[in-house]
Amino acid sequence: MKDIKIAVKDLSLYYGEKKALKEISLEIPKNKVTALIGPSGCGKSTFLRCINRMNDLIPDVRITGSMLVEGVDIYDKDVDVVNIRKKIGMVFQKSNPFPKSIYENIAYGPRINGIKDKTDLDEIVETSLRKAAIWDEIKDRLGDSAMGLSGGQQQRLCIARTLAVSPDIILMDEPASALDPISTSKIEELVHELKEQYTIIIVTHNMQQAARTSDYTAFFYLGELIEMGKTNDIFTKPEKKQTEDYITGRFG
Amino acid sequence: MTHFEIELEKLKNVIEKIGTLAQGQVGESVKALLAEPLSEGKEVKKTEHKIDKLDIKIDEICQSIFALQQPVASDLRFIMSAMQISNEIERIGDLAISIIKKAKNTKDKHDLISRFQVAELAKEVEKITIKTNECFLTRDETTIGEIFVLNKSIKNKTDDAIHNIVGEMKVNSKAVVSGTNLVIVLKHLERISEHCTNIAENVFFMINAKIIKHEKFEENKLEE
Repeated sequence: MKDIKIAVKDLSLYYGEKKALKEISLEIPKNKVTALIGPSGCGKSTFLRCINRMNDLIPDVRITGSMLVEGVDIYDKDVDVVNIRKKIGMVFQKSNPFPKSIYENIAYGPRINGIKDKTDLDEIVETSLRKAAIWDEIKDRLGDSAMGLSGGQQQRLCIARTLAVSPDIILMDEPASALDPISTSKIEELVHELKEQYTIIIVTHNMQQAARTSDYTAFFYLGELIEMGKTNDIFTKPEKKQTEDYITGRFG
Repeated sequence: MTHFEIELEKLKNVIEKIGTLAQGQVGESVKALLAEPLSEGKEVKKTEHKIDKLDIKIDEICQSIFALQQPVASDLRFIMSAMQISNEIERIGDLAISIIKKAKNTKDKHDLISRFQVAELAKEVEKITIKTNECFLTRDETTIGEIFVLNKSIKNKTDDAIHNIVGEMKVNSKAVVSGTNLVIVLKHLERISEHCTNIAENVFFMINAKIIKHEKFEENKLEE
């Protein structure tokens, strides 16, 4: 792990009195896919949401420790949270396109960032949709409502929308859990292609999806990071018994 | 026990069964060689068919587990090893049959056997097959080490015996036919020992997630 994009040191998160993340320290490599796995309530999604400060929106949340993205602590007082979320995009479990046209869904972000020129916007829309591997399916109906797309297409549209504002990092929270196997496979293939340009962190309950798509895997349990390593090592010879028990389905 | 664990247990039991059958065949082959009373020839043939059937059954169970359960970590290693081990056991069975056939058709072998310590070697081969079955069932690393040591001893004894038999054939033309047959039998015994060592390597992989096959000096394999 030479090129580190995100370095986390002793990060703890409290929901009121409850400590949901316990002194998490890990490093996320650049241009790789890192999967976060663990049973429900283990803190993996909470951790994911710390990376673009989504937890700021929840009352009574307190965070200690540090989260350095390219050497800058994103929890520093001087850091602009909007800029962080521009650099760190997020794709959610349930696709959430705006009730607007396909074109407007993609153009929305760049436009509020000040890009007004139609030619520039056209180019961003096409490039983003191409990168999200959906251009060929929808290029002739960019004016149609995004709500008319299938679930799998909506999710790829949301990925395209994320890409349109040129992030460095993409966070994915169960991006394929509501999709059929064909759409899932398209998303997984897309993740594989996107890592050339982006650092991707994906939360998944699907163990095989973590194994198929990621380069590194981190296993969380009860708010602690139990083990992180190369995905190939985690799924063939994990070091910790808890990891072995979880991935082989013998937990608890 | 989950459905998956039941499948794994079933696989383990079938390997245990095929291992025991092959061990029996090796025992019969040693008897044939040393001219002790042999079980019915029919029985040996029947066992050979049973081994072949179990070998196929193991492939089917493994295929089904791979397709339906997507095993990982120690489960994955167990199933990968199971497939290789069953292959090795099936070959041990075949070699034992070849020894039986060859030994029965070799007249005047007793003089060469007793002069060149072939009996001792054959007993060691019998012992290594017993140890091999034991190491798969107990997953005991000490037994794996013993198998490597035994294999080395069998190799040395085979080389010595072949060297001496060839020497005898050079000076005594009457020994050429039985000597040649005996050399073939000795090479089969040595192969059985190597298959046992391959099984031990697979058990080592199953336990430690480390591949040690093709390493040159067997006694060094366990030291790292």
